[in-house]
Amino acid sequence: MSGFSSSVPSGLSRRHFLSRVGMGFGALAFDAMLARDGHYVSAGSLPSGIAHIAPKAKSVIWLFMIGGTSHLETFDPKPALNEFAGKTIEETPHKGVLEASYLSENLRVVVPNDANGQMRSTLYPLQVGFKKHGQSGIEVSDWLPHIATCVDDIAVVRSMWTTDNNHGAQLQFHTGRHSLDGNFPTVGSWIHYGLGSLNDNLPQFVVLGTPIADCCGGHNGHGSNYLGPEHAGVRLNVDARDPLPFASPPKGVFREEQAAEFELLSRLHRLAAEEDSDPALKARLNSYELAFRMQTAIPDLMNFAGETAETHDLYGTGDKETKTFAEQCLAARRMVERGVRFMQIFHGSNGGAGAWDGHSNLQTGHASLCRQTDQPIAGLLKDLKRRGLLDETLVVWGTEFGRTPGAQNSNGRDHHPFGFSVWMAGGGIKRGFVHGATDELGFHASEDRHYITDLHATVLHQLGLDPRKLDVTGRKRLEIDYGEPMHAIIA
Amino acid sequence: MRTPNAALRCLAPCLVLVALPSFAAEPVDYAIDIKPIFERHCVSCHGAVRSQGGLRLDASQFLRTTGDSGGSVVPGDSASSVLLAALKGEGGYTRMPQDADPLPDAQIALIERWIAEGAVAPESEKADADPAEHWAFRPVARPTVPFSDESAGVIDAFVMERHDAAGVVPLAEAPRHTLLRRLYLDLIGLPPSPAELEAFLNDAAPDAYDRVVDRLLADPRHGERWGRHWMDVWRYSDWYGYGNELRNSQKHIWHWRDWIIESLNENQPYDRMVVEMLAADEVAPLDDDALRATGFLARNYYKFNRDVWLDRTVEHTGKAFLGLTFNCARCHDHLFDPISQRDHYAMRAFFEPHQVRLDPVDGDLDENKNGLPRVYDADLSTPTYLFVRGNDKQPDKDHPLAPELPKFFVPKTPTVESVALPPAAHYAGLRLEVREVLRRQADAEVAAADEAVRKMLLDGAVGSLAPGVLSASLAADRSVAEARLRAARLRRAALEMRISADDAKYANPPAAEADSLAVAAAKTERTAALAAADAEALAARKAQDEAQRKPAAEREKAIADAQKALDAAMKAIEAAKAELGKTDGNYSPLTTVYPSTSSGRRTRLANWIVDPANPLTARVAVNHVWTRHFGKPLVESMFDFGMHGSAPTDPELLDWLAAEFVASGWNFKHLHRLIVTSDTYRLNSTVAADHPSLAIDPDNRLLWHMNARRGEGEVIRDSMLAVAGRLDERMGGPELDAAADQTTARRSVYYRHAPEKYAPFLQAFDGASADECYLRAETVVPTQALAQVNSRITREESRSIAADLFGTGEATAADLIERAFKRVLCRAAASEERAACIAFLEDQEIRLANPSALTTLETGPDTSIEAAHSPRLRAFASLVHVLLNHHDFVTIR
Repeated sequence: MSGFSSSVPSGLSRRHFLSRVGMGFGALAFDAMLARDGHYVSAGSLPSGIAHIAPKAKSVIWLFMIGGTSHLETFDPKPALNEFAGKTIEETPHKGVLEASYLSENLRVVVPNDANGQMRSTLYPLQVGFKKHGQSGIEVSDWLPHIATCVDDIAVVRSMWTTDNNHGAQLQFHTGRHSLDGNFPTVGSWIHYGLGSLNDNLPQFVVLGTPIADCCGGHNGHGSNYLGPEHAGVRLNVDARDPLPFASPPKGVFREEQAAEFELLSRLHRLAAEEDSDPALKARLNSYELAFRMQTAIPDLMNFAGETAETHDLYGTGDKETKTFAEQCLAARRMVERGVRFMQIFHGSNGGAGAWDGHSNLQTGHASLCRQTDQPIAGLLKDLKRRGLLDETLVVWGTEFGRTPGAQNSNGRDHHPFGFSVWMAGGGIKRGFVHGATDELGFHASEDRHYITDLHATVLHQLGLDPRKLDVTGRKRLEIDYGEPMHAIIA
Repeated sequence: MRTPNAALRCLAPCLVLVALPSFAAEPVDYAIDIKPIFERHCVSCHGAVRSQGGLRLDASQFLRTTGDSGGSVVPGDSASSVLLAALKGEGGYTRMPQDADPLPDAQIALIERWIAEGAVAPESEKADADPAEHWAFRPVARPTVPFSDESAGVIDAFVMERHDAAGVVPLAEAPRHTLLRRLYLDLIGLPPSPAELEAFLNDAAPDAYDRVVDRLLADPRHGERWGRHWMDVWRYSDWYGYGNELRNSQKHIWHWRDWIIESLNENQPYDRMVVEMLAADEVAPLDDDALRATGFLARNYYKFNRDVWLDRTVEHTGKAFLGLTFNCARCHDHLFDPISQRDHYAMRAFFEPHQVRLDPVDGDLDENKNGLPRVYDADLSTPTYLFVRGNDKQPDKDHPLAPELPKFFVPKTPTVESVALPPAAHYAGLRLEVREVLRRQADAEVAAADEAVRKMLLDGAVGSLAPGVLSASLAADRSVAEARLRAARLRRAALEMRISADDAKYANPPAAEADSLAVAAAKTERTAALAAADAEALAARKAQDEAQRKPAAEREKAIADAQKALDAAMKAIEAAKAELGKTDGNYSPLTTVYPSTSSGRRTRLANWIVDPANPLTARVAVNHVWTRHFGKPLVESMFDFGMHGSAPTDPELLDWLAAEFVASGWNFKHLHRLIVTSDTYRLNSTVAADHPSLAIDPDNRLLWHMNARRGEGEVIRDSMLAVAGRLDERMGGPELDAAADQTTARRSVYYRHAPEKYAPFLQAFDGASADECYLRAETVVPTQALAQVNSRITREESRSIAADLFGTGEATAADLIERAFKRVLCRAAASEERAACIAFLEDQEIRLANPSALTTLETGPDTSIEAAHSPRLRAFASLVHVLLNHHDFVTIR
């Protein structure tokens, strides 16, 4: 084999059926447990829970702003917009942006002549001020005062691009494929598929917040498609009473009554296993025992009673505006501590395109949305850092596209797939670093351009996975699916 | 620029794992480093299926010998190797892979180093196969059965031969209770009742089993069980979109689901089913029942993009019926199979003219309430173009494509003949039930207008007693009402005249008076339109009068509104007058009139698919049926019977079954009967860990025992309801809300099934994706355990079953346990199981007798069946709940 060894110790048969039946929490988890204990390295291209390359991070917290956050009002200030405000792009020295080949080559339109997703020519001034922060002096919008205090831990990437000018880009941001191509495994599901579990009592790919809506990909935004349903994200509510569907028995059942039932079931399954070598039977026996532990572990996870008042204040759980997102961020930190691999947190669900979709009233809208997320995110970064967890936790902040330099509806900005920003922190990423750039108008990603799968590749790389080794036989992946890690931001 | 070597014209991105470059400076290894690059980027054009310019790179022996320039690789001399020049696009060679991204520099460097190191490769290796020799592309020939013993079934003869060859010893036949439960779950998706189990166990007649098979195949629940299987394969999806906006599939597509279930129950031949799904509108244009079948195509409707819509249609027609992956030939020629990119688009051309429409059901014209989603050819002139590199922005308009079958299979596609449709097929207005509905509507309008006038007369009688304005207003009201009545009566008359004119026009041959009737109908219709406009003008004038008397605050706006209405009415009068001046017979049809000719393209395609000589169709169908009885396919790659698909585990058996299926008239029930009455099907599934055959064939590829399979979510849910005697067995009809699967008791197949609209319980058990599901996954994960343990339905059914079995409560613990095992698991309890259950019942009863010491859980769902007050009964319900979670309950053994 090229580059990695394949030794399977005798006595451990890897029957195909076992590996298939037990995927997820069964055999795969079993494999991972063995691997974790240093028992063996799995063979070949089967996902094994073994990193392909030395991992820098164990867990990922993936924050996704639904609707399209303006890069121009968050992490990519463009003074030229103030200078030329009210002029059309053609009237400025930067009219070349309208002739760039990206406009035709990179765009795949889903809804032709839609009211949104159009070129907006009349430049709209910045709706917020920017200041330099920290040692690094990175400019951050005045709407994000808390994140600004963490900027020395962050690497901002200002040169992202995508190809859908409508909100199918939300799906695309997670699968790497345009929605017209169909549904594909998401970045979280690849990680779930490629890496084993660090905690057998909890799901390993967790979704918090309300996911993207039907319009824009729905559950496929945290789905696993051909990798199989066991690798899809599991939605959890930050509610100890109702953390996930089927988490608790119908009302009125006694805890002790149910515990006795679980015990009898285990007893009967063990009796059956004496006669029957069916691996599915053992997997089922196992799955019920895990389920029983999950029933306790998940509500425990969502029970914040043990967190100090100071921690609550750090995230802002007590503030009406920040409460929801703060609790989700706090839950994410608790999951990191418990070894959950991938947490995908959605912000801005409104049942449609998303709250960040600032076609009009961008100033009031974005100011408020920033307020809802700013302190919780900063709290999360600080909390992870002081607990020594930030080094092994990769925090990713993203959105499906940016917003147009030109105005829409007099006080908004339209969808903008040609250039936008994301950032990463922790998990072996450079601190206080800016990578890539858009042009003077913030129109096109112009330096170190990155299609969204480069972000996926970076995340996978930090976890020790090589996307090219995650192919599934019979499932064609295009070159663009793999992406290329952003080596420049890796510490 | 010269292109000296046509051999290296290669276009090809592709699958297959890419080898990564070795890390150290070890010599480059052909097998690890080089061959995967060739496979990934080159062999689609330079391999066995196509060898452009005579060059082949699929095996080492060709490297130095093939290609127009006589060998593309010169060992040790990379500078003279044409291969390298072509990859770099140097020396005047067209850069390869042509029409694809260049190879990464690192890979080119690797190849260069490999050549420099001497291009070390095996003398020869296995070359890719000739597609003409590929097993699935060769005609199905019925193999000789390897056993002449008449007492052995044919399936068993094939299977036993392989047992003997491998030295495996099959298990014995399954116990009769296991067998009966297996048969019930496989054929109708529900377990036998205790009475049915008892009857079978006591039936010593030699044909007892066969009679059960016949009975279950005739049971209407068989169609519900197998309908769901085929719904997976045929991608059944209820409509979905954004809010109420239809974006995908069709509203009322459940008519297609009902057609699937009914067709299976009626044992429609498979070839007929395929033809109806693809072309019922051409072969049975007046048969509403058959038209439902075209839901197969209507399901692909996609609001935003016709190319995506047709791509999916081509892809899944290929995968479902032929086991061919046409989708791999959308951007370039198929990498492995003899399907060119042109074939892909020529296949699309069969579907190019078709569109979806809703036909009225029972005359109901309200499309929100009901309607039959069906396809029809809307535009016979739309051209089909190949998209260069699959890019819909680059249609090759110089070469419009005709509908043609893949050339490898059918070198010359027979002429496609268009189909003249009978009038009622393209014009619903000729249907009696539609006319009746329209008459009733028109009658109702007349009656309502009449009633309004009568009311005015009564009011007027009262009003006339009052002085002044009031009576004037009433008089105005009355004239408006009378004008409206007149218009309604005229419309009613016009409707009847339009119907008469339709009858004359669509008679064969058209009636002599058709023209004059048409003129008369048009005239009356126009008169009615004028009358309606007159009435609205009167109403507007009245509103104008009233506006003057409004309070000052409202007056201005009321006057303006009234003026607007009056202007519109006057305009309508002018228009109606102009119309009335015409003397033609252009009355409006009762409903939309669709084209009277269909292209016949889809019929042509369907007839090829179901031609008994087609090597793929029967093999693919038989594999689907086999898989769902045995839990493992004969051909693992269910939708890919191409050259990179899996080889059949037992090719002779597959071919014999395929031949028999076709010879039986594509008879599904015959195929089921053959399979389930075989000894192979009846083998035990419980394998002891030390069974010697495990060492020889651990994966049971030789079928020396039955495979225990986990039931689908549908089987688990429906079985719980059935065991409790609470299953609502009503068949068919509109889809039910997905979330209602926990609170209502219809069979699972009837709940909404669409992306985002899956029933959560069903989906937990690897439910089918509505996008694509040729084979369900079979995982065992804790979320399934949670669904089964904590769902409302499991708790309710356990309580219901327990109450039923408990009776008056005099039974002993052992008796109760016996009853519960039999009812839930269709078997007796083993003695250790009984002991464990007795101990549990005793403990649980004691525990429940002192509820104040227990912790109540209050966060879960409500139930409609309360827990019993009696601790003993509640403990027993607890036991039943455990059995509903038992491996043996969720498993088809």
